[in-house]
Amino acid sequence: MQIDIEELKSKYLDLEFDRKDFTIDPEKVVTVAKMSGETLPQFCDPAHPEFQAPPAFIASLVSGRHLPVDFPRIGGVPMDGGKAVTVHAPVRPGASLTGKTHLHDIYDKSGRSGRMIFLVSRMELFNEQGEHVATSDSRQVIREKQQ
Amino acid sequence: MSAISNISEVEFGVELEPFEPDTSLAATSAFAEAVGWTDGRGGRFTDHEAARKEGFPGALVPGIMNMGFLTSMIHRWSPVAEVVHVDTVFRAPVIADEPCTISAVITDVDEDECLVELDLTVKNAKDETRVFGTAKVRLPAA
Repeated sequence: MQIDIEELKSKYLDLEFDRKDFTIDPEKVVTVAKMSGETLPQFCDPAHPEFQAPPAFIASLVSGRHLPVDFPRIGGVPMDGGKAVTVHAPVRPGASLTGKTHLHDIYDKSGRSGRMIFLVSRMELFNEQGEHVATSDSRQVIREKQQ
Repeated sequence: MSAISNISEVEFGVELEPFEPDTSLAATSAFAEAVGWTDGRGGRFTDHEAARKEGFPGALVPGIMNMGFLTSMIHRWSPVAEVVHVDTVFRAPVIADEPCTISAVITDVDEDECLVELDLTVKNAKDETRVFGTAKVRLPAA
């Protein structure tokens, strides 16, 4: 029997299932920026007045769990299907952040090899003032196991 | 190609100057360690042999490192560009120590909102697309 995508959506979308605190290490931000080929001082120099984490670093901040604790097993090993980052305000290294995670979308695509199910987890990052500074989406792709 | 300094200098359809990022094992290892992806991942970003034992063709460039390559290219094109949104799809692995090329093309220019949209691609030496995506970038007004 196929997994019912609409049922999963009605049960799990938009419900926070994880909350995690982060303190961003400036040295790690510099390493990520430089290894990515970044040259701008606002990403590579902690002394720069606009020093901030690049999107790739924000994408590395992941919640403690990938899915809600009671989410059903769908099939094989999840693959990393991609990441998206929206920057609402500069993410300052050294500051404390809180990431709140929910399932943002569930959809499927069918092909010759069967059905793939896409799960999009969204982490919204807030600074100490409660300002929403960034949104990070992680797409997991799972090949559905034939029942 | 001179660096873009404001929205009026952006032309629809123009390709950004491609660049070849550093995909060396030393770079992927440093990146993976900085983001905490060396624990419990069996050396897939740091060791070719360990990655092959996991079934990969070799050590991998972390997916988000490709995102970093793409946004770095945007900043080379315009040091005043703010990447507002970037979305990357990991279609296939990018292998460490193998060359790849980063490219981008401008697909939309909104002069009123000072926003530019780009299509982004990471290809390997066989010209196969490994990562693709889009970005939305804010530039200063003219």
